[in-house]
Amino acid sequence: MKVMRNLKRISALLLTVFVTLGLVQPAKAATPVTITIWSFGNVIEPWAITEYKKLHPEVTLQIKKGELDAHHQSLITAFLAKKTPDIAAVEVSYSGYFRSYPSYFEDLRKAPYNAGTIEKDYLDWRWDQGVGYDGTVFGLPTDVGGMQVAYRVDLFKKHGLPTDRKAVGALWPTWEKFISTGQKYNSKLTTAEKDSCKKKKICYGFIDNAGTIYNAVLNQASAKYYENNNTKDGKLIYSTNPAVKKAFDTTTKALKANIGTRINSFTSDWNVGMNNGIFATILAPAWMMDYIKQQAPKTKGKWDIADLPGGGGNLGGSQLTIPKSAKNKTAAWEFMSWYLAPAQQLTIFKKYGLFPSASSLYDDAALKNYKDPFFNNAPVGSIYTAGALQLKPIFEGKKQRAIDNIFGQALSRVAIGKQTPAAAWQQALSEIKKSVG
Amino acid sequence: MNNTSPVADASQTSGNSNGRGGRRTAAPSPWRADAQPGAPRKRKKTSRDEAGSIRALNPGWGYIFTAPFFIMFLIFGLAPVVYSTYIAFFNWDPLELEHPFVGLDNFALLLDDGQFWMAVGNTFSIWFFSTIPAMIMSIGLAAILRNPNLRGATFWRTILLVPNITSVLAIAIIFGQLFGRDFGLINLMLDIFGFDRHIDWITEQIPSHIAIATMITWRWVGYNSLIFLAAMLAIPNELYESASLDGASKWQTFRYVTLPQLRNTITFVLIVGTIGGLQVFAEPLTLGGNFNGGDSRQFSTLTLFLYEQAFVNNKWGYAAAVGIMITLIVLVISAINFWLTRRIASEDSK
Repeated sequence: MKVMRNLKRISALLLTVFVTLGLVQPAKAATPVTITIWSFGNVIEPWAITEYKKLHPEVTLQIKKGELDAHHQSLITAFLAKKTPDIAAVEVSYSGYFRSYPSYFEDLRKAPYNAGTIEKDYLDWRWDQGVGYDGTVFGLPTDVGGMQVAYRVDLFKKHGLPTDRKAVGALWPTWEKFISTGQKYNSKLTTAEKDSCKKKKICYGFIDNAGTIYNAVLNQASAKYYENNNTKDGKLIYSTNPAVKKAFDTTTKALKANIGTRINSFTSDWNVGMNNGIFATILAPAWMMDYIKQQAPKTKGKWDIADLPGGGGNLGGSQLTIPKSAKNKTAAWEFMSWYLAPAQQLTIFKKYGLFPSASSLYDDAALKNYKDPFFNNAPVGSIYTAGALQLKPIFEGKKQRAIDNIFGQALSRVAIGKQTPAAAWQQALSEIKKSVG
Repeated sequence: MNNTSPVADASQTSGNSNGRGGRRTAAPSPWRADAQPGAPRKRKKTSRDEAGSIRALNPGWGYIFTAPFFIMFLIFGLAPVVYSTYIAFFNWDPLELEHPFVGLDNFALLLDDGQFWMAVGNTFSIWFFSTIPAMIMSIGLAAILRNPNLRGATFWRTILLVPNITSVLAIAIIFGQLFGRDFGLINLMLDIFGFDRHIDWITEQIPSHIAIATMITWRWVGYNSLIFLAAMLAIPNELYESASLDGASKWQTFRYVTLPQLRNTITFVLIVGTIGGLQVFAEPLTLGGNFNGGDSRQFSTLTLFLYEQAFVNNKWGYAAAVGIMITLIVLVISAINFWLTRRIASEDSK
């Protein structure tokens, strides 16, 4: 008896060991599939998970969310270890890096994906951000981070500016006009508000963070830090491209004019400032609308959306990719081609404000006529459509995220008065030379 | 087991008189001697005997019992060290298939890299701001918890560990709100006390170091207090009794009885704290939300710099060279610590 009991115990123990080691698989039900997805932010919205479960009860979506940078960094190590998820999101600022290494991704042009057949549904320059240097299609575009200006109607009124979105957009056809509007706004600040800033306390201002102007201006150009010479690495032009210098100079002008507060985006001070009317404008990509709703629900109806100076802008947007070492490639493709199809993109735009990259929707009345009550019933659908269509395709280079960061630091040194614009520019160039080449 | 009593006698604690030493000889455990805060010099003499007794007691088993640690160490400790030493001699872009050999170039570049030396300076500055106040606070806390009249002692001791098991990200969110420049709680308090400007806890160098050090201190004070508490509870009561017979005040008892008895523990906490302090990573990362450690790199630390090279610039070879430099710095600091300990110990036995 005792021997039997011990045997049972040992075999039970061994079984648990084998199961945990993956040597014995527990009996399978009707082919359930688990798709693992690595993403960041709100690329895969929770709505999709419940909706897809209704269509495919056998499929479970397992989503791991990381921070933007950490997510892409762990993706690199996952590629090396060949322990990749089935679907990986790649953001635009990193798509330039991964386009140099298409061999780590499935080529979606090929069977069974045949992505070529759906290419026409998408905005061309967004589609191109998922194309490798050798022509491989490694990702499908998610949303467009089309950029416009979110402004506070009540604060504009208080500071003697027009409040109608057409009239507001007409205030700033150019960035210079945007800056002078900011100065006009700031001149109407109360003495108490002005004193507060002089005493190095809260600074009230026209825009949350004048440093954000840099990316907006740069993305209106036709090239950034790299030029496509059809090689893996691209050609570095950051120091010679006049568009980079122009974006830098426009931003330092705005900083010098003090139109911004001292608050940085995505900080706790920023969230408070959004609620308390410390600033009146935010340069808002479409996905920012949901962020404002989440962080400042009490400001509902006080916001509106106007055109961006200089015409059209973009910040963000991602591609969904299938890594070479993914386990459930067909199931992954089925899900992502469903999720990114025009019909789903429209629902997601209405629910979460992610602007569709499916350009076939742009003539759709459902998108054009969509109004958002949070933003004073602005026709956000048509406003963001107009912006997205004005953009020129920009070549995304290999290490542009690192270069973006270095210019960003240079601008914040100027913002807090640590450096003159010229010195900051020089330091940025030498830092880029050192870390990128 | 005669070898235990000379060790007990040799220890500087006067409480280890023959009476107590005699009690200890009754337990025939070779590890027992090790557990005593003995003088390193004497222990050296007896170490051969001790090893002999372990072997005598447990032929061969010692290796098996220690094997799990060493196997894990070989896989997760030594192998990465060897591998990263190897790639430090290459120009190693992770996804690239070929990695050109560059010899000592990475090291030469590193010694000439102002950003690296800035990170070294920041790391030591943060270490200074976090270690010294934390040490004083945890000894103080331990002294309070040692009080036998304290009610709910277990509760207080348990609660000390809560900061230590809290997720760093949660800490970062809370401290982000405390240290916010315009709406942070700390600047609000300073306002109330009539401080006439808001301190920018991120863009100013020393304030940012203090903010990071506060996070580290908050996290580790409780843990260190428990170590100090354990050391204090091991101090024989006879010492306190004789101190009170001599009419020593509470402060005098603490200063002349408790503190000297804690010397070894202080050294231990200092060494562990230094090694941890040289690897400060999560706190500066979450304070700035970026891998560069602020717009002027004002709080970039050594490990943050390493990470930035590896994962922002994708220069794994260069990052490996940074890792080797960190190891060298830790070794040098540990050697200094070790030398100091020896000196203090030998002064005691005079």
